[in-house]
Amino acid sequence: MIPLSLRFAGRELRGGVRGFRIFLACLALGVMAIASAGSTAEAFRRGLASQAGEILGGDLALSLRGREFTSAERAALERTGRVSYAAGTEAMAEAPSGERRLVELRGVSGDYPLAGKVTIRGAPSLQVALAPQTGRGEAGGAGAVVEQALLDRLHLKIGDSFLAGNVPLTVRGVLLEEPDRLSRGFALGPRVLTRLDVVERGGFLATGLPYAETARVLLAPGASLPKAKAALNTALHGSARIRDREDAAPGIHRLIDQLEYFLGFIGLASLVAGGLGVYGAVNAYLENRKPVIATLKALGAEGALVRDTYLIQIALLAALGVAIGLGVGAAAPLALGAWVKDKLPVPALFAVYPWPLAKAAAFGLLSAAAFSLAPLGRARATPPASLFRSDLTARLTIGPEIIGAVLAAMGLAVMAVVTAPTPLAATIMIAGVAVSFAILWALGWGAAVAAGRARAFARGPLRIGLANLSGPHSAARTASPAIGLGVALLAAVVLIQSSLLSQVTEVAPRTAPALVFTGIPGDRVAQFDADVRAAFGQPLTPKNYLREPFITGRITRVRGQAVEPEKMPRQDRWAYDADITMSAIGPKPEDAGILIGRWWPGSYAGTPLLALDVDVAKGARIKVGDAVTLTVLGREIETRVAVLRKVDFGGFGASFPLVVTPNAFEGAPLRQVAIAKAGKAQEAAVIHALGHDFPQVNVISVREQLEAATDLFDRVALAVRGAAAVAALAGLLVLTGAIAARARARTREAAILKVLGASRAQILSAYVLEYGAVGVIAGAAGVALGYAAAWPVVVKVFEAKWSMDWRGVAALVGAAALFAAIGGLLAAFQALSKRPAPALRAE
Amino acid sequence: MSDADPLVLKNVSLTLPSAAGPVEILRGLNVRVGKGERVALVGPSGSGKSSLIAVAAGLEQPSGGSVELFGQDLARLDEDGRARLRRGQVSLVFQSFHLLPNMTAQENVAAPLEIAGARDATETARAWLERVGLAGRARHYPHQLSGGEQQRVALARALAPRPALLFADEPTGNLDAVNAAHVADLMFDLVAETGAALVLVTHDETLAARADRAVRLRDGRVAA
Repeated sequence: MIPLSLRFAGRELRGGVRGFRIFLACLALGVMAIASAGSTAEAFRRGLASQAGEILGGDLALSLRGREFTSAERAALERTGRVSYAAGTEAMAEAPSGERRLVELRGVSGDYPLAGKVTIRGAPSLQVALAPQTGRGEAGGAGAVVEQALLDRLHLKIGDSFLAGNVPLTVRGVLLEEPDRLSRGFALGPRVLTRLDVVERGGFLATGLPYAETARVLLAPGASLPKAKAALNTALHGSARIRDREDAAPGIHRLIDQLEYFLGFIGLASLVAGGLGVYGAVNAYLENRKPVIATLKALGAEGALVRDTYLIQIALLAALGVAIGLGVGAAAPLALGAWVKDKLPVPALFAVYPWPLAKAAAFGLLSAAAFSLAPLGRARATPPASLFRSDLTARLTIGPEIIGAVLAAMGLAVMAVVTAPTPLAATIMIAGVAVSFAILWALGWGAAVAAGRARAFARGPLRIGLANLSGPHSAARTASPAIGLGVALLAAVVLIQSSLLSQVTEVAPRTAPALVFTGIPGDRVAQFDADVRAAFGQPLTPKNYLREPFITGRITRVRGQAVEPEKMPRQDRWAYDADITMSAIGPKPEDAGILIGRWWPGSYAGTPLLALDVDVAKGARIKVGDAVTLTVLGREIETRVAVLRKVDFGGFGASFPLVVTPNAFEGAPLRQVAIAKAGKAQEAAVIHALGHDFPQVNVISVREQLEAATDLFDRVALAVRGAAAVAALAGLLVLTGAIAARARARTREAAILKVLGASRAQILSAYVLEYGAVGVIAGAAGVALGYAAAWPVVVKVFEAKWSMDWRGVAALVGAAALFAAIGGLLAAFQALSKRPAPALRAE
Repeated sequence: MSDADPLVLKNVSLTLPSAAGPVEILRGLNVRVGKGERVALVGPSGSGKSSLIAVAAGLEQPSGGSVELFGQDLARLDEDGRARLRRGQVSLVFQSFHLLPNMTAQENVAAPLEIAGARDATETARAWLERVGLAGRARHYPHQLSGGEQQRVALARALAPRPALLFADEPTGNLDAVNAAHVADLMFDLVAETGAALVLVTHDETLAARADRAVRLRDGRVAA
């Protein structure tokens, strides 16, 4: 026997779902955003997992910085499986024309790659391209394959020769794809691939130079990956960074996790904004069904039966809305995947994945419950006497529906936090949305009350508009918070983007160096300075040129105890699980940023002292006075911490996380690094000039890197803005819902106004004023909240200078007001399209 | 069923809030309706006739006094308790019919029987539609019926549970003369047949004259 509530619900649904279009759209939109973000992220994760071997270039990758594998280490590696070696470094490429630019030079052993394949143009295979030319020797240079960007920049073509440092190379092909590129990350210049022995002969792998050698191991079938990893770690005494195919591209995994959460969060925010649409639709529906509810009660139905009758209907409709969202959310990545299949930088396996869809469905259903259970409480409480008095409304009291709504809202928040990659950030974001929503709601109510007071002083259309704004169905109370939340999200994104962009395009060029020179021979610094001065055509001062010793090393012991990076918070490990840069400086540099301690005298000769960046110190809780052991080029140096300082890595100064007293490296011929401020012409001149005397010195153009960063940033920001617009769309849906819910009453109101002699223009202006005001309130409040969210992110998280994008802000407020006013105009046209007599008779 | 009178109102008053201040609708009303008795409530608009029905049927709580349905003091029951008390014992017919718009005529008639848990609700509903001459309209929705037909469905719905007390609030108020006479005849015939007591609110003195007695209301009081 079908329960009575289900039977009644089925009968009630015969009336159709016309009044639920906004309800369905609001739910479907949020669920779609969450489902498509989750499905896309899962597609990338599966894609990365399916090609983990190719991405890593084998089953295991062991990297060393600044030194090569010893013969004992090579023997251990080769006992484990098939091994391929590669060494990478930066070098200056120079065309016969004298044009120069920085490249990422990589030498690989003959059996590279062990997994996946290298795609090249202009040669049948990598092996053929790199093989020594039979009978011709390598007079024109060893074979190399290079990226098209280098050919374009140096005006080279296949067959041409060029220098990498002082090593002659011949372009034998264009490098299109390497299987292990993703696991290697960011490159400072176009990539050049040649044989390992060529790089070795060119002197790039000398002690103290910033190069990395990586051994990739392909295990025998059936061999245990964890055991092999552990064995190699022991054989190499923990000196190498070891990655395996399970963790082939950790940075990209983290990026995918963060992006998924951010886009999912926007979906969640749009569910919250759209929640007002859900709430409004359920409320309007139940208001419309009040006579039915009262009749059922008059026929003897208890409150619970009535509530369940409508609960079942809402649940079915919520399921339909969620299903629509899931359908579109699952299909969108499939369509997107088919469209951009060959242009993706990361492998992806687009398919329908149940877990992201289940998660999106749970978010959708919880949101539906949170926003519709409270109005459903009204169904239970609707007095049957409303059959006689239509103005009677149900009083909302705390009952199972309110408790259910609160539990669902809490479930929504808990789920959002639990599924986040960084729960603390998620908690802050969720709390931010909740607080913003409460503020916007309160502001909407306040605006309605203020409009009620102000109407006493207004006349004509303004008075009608204000009266509607203050009325019980005021859009200021429904649409305004929803639009405001959407605008707040967009404003936060716009303001963060504009500040960071301004940091990259305006602040950084003023404060950061334009050029970085690396690998300056320590014994020829005077000549180097002279060459730079000549090329710049101006004297070198501490304001435009700084040169310091440079070396990489690792912190191995603190207070006598070996450091254990795996026990540190993930964000602090970077300074302990790999070599970091350091310098040896005597007198205190300008803007040293000292927080605790005193810099040493220039002539200091005691136990080597150490100045440490506070962020580095945090990982191992290092304090001034602590003993710290550094391992540099295999040699241990005992130091004592004298200074904790805040290093401004983006500024023009000695930006080394570790600085030791010069006596720590007494007698060692340290290479040096220099930074300089220079105009575009000076930059070109110095790059060209150094090619003659210092071909081995790499010149990094910060301007080029900033341009590349700006370009990348623009593309990411566009995608993020697009996603944030989803939340704004939810706000507009709520506005549409509010307009639709009042359409009948508006028609009647317009008819009465016409009867009273109001012109069409007066009625139109009244509605445009009313909705325009809703838009301005929502836009201004949204921007203020967006500002409050963006400022700490820019100033505290990114440590960038705050920059206000007034045009963006004005555009947002204007757009909110414009869209809302258009809504008002449509509402007015709809109301005015009906003739007064039938509209009045219909009542 | 108890031997108590179907309806006893003792000193009932009803004051409702309004924007202009509280409005006294009913002032110290005393009315008793015996078993099978047919009572007409007559009076000018605003005299409190419909409010009296709302209070007497337990749809509205009085501000003062007591209402007893079949000996049960409604003040002792919550809203759900009053709904349970109405089931099968008290029915209402309204001037504007109040049929459930998404239910067919037959489903409308069956609704109170289903709410009361009757197993033969559909069969009983079909039989009652036949009684009111609408067997051929069983599958029609309210909007597909004329006003007179809608009120006949409402009458069938009210009487199908065989209530001991029927409240009818201007049942012919929205009908033309022919339909009004037809519905009135049907109502009196069926009430007589089921033995239900009837409380009939009407402006129509002819209709009121068909009742056993008339209670005249003026300004919320029983007129002398």
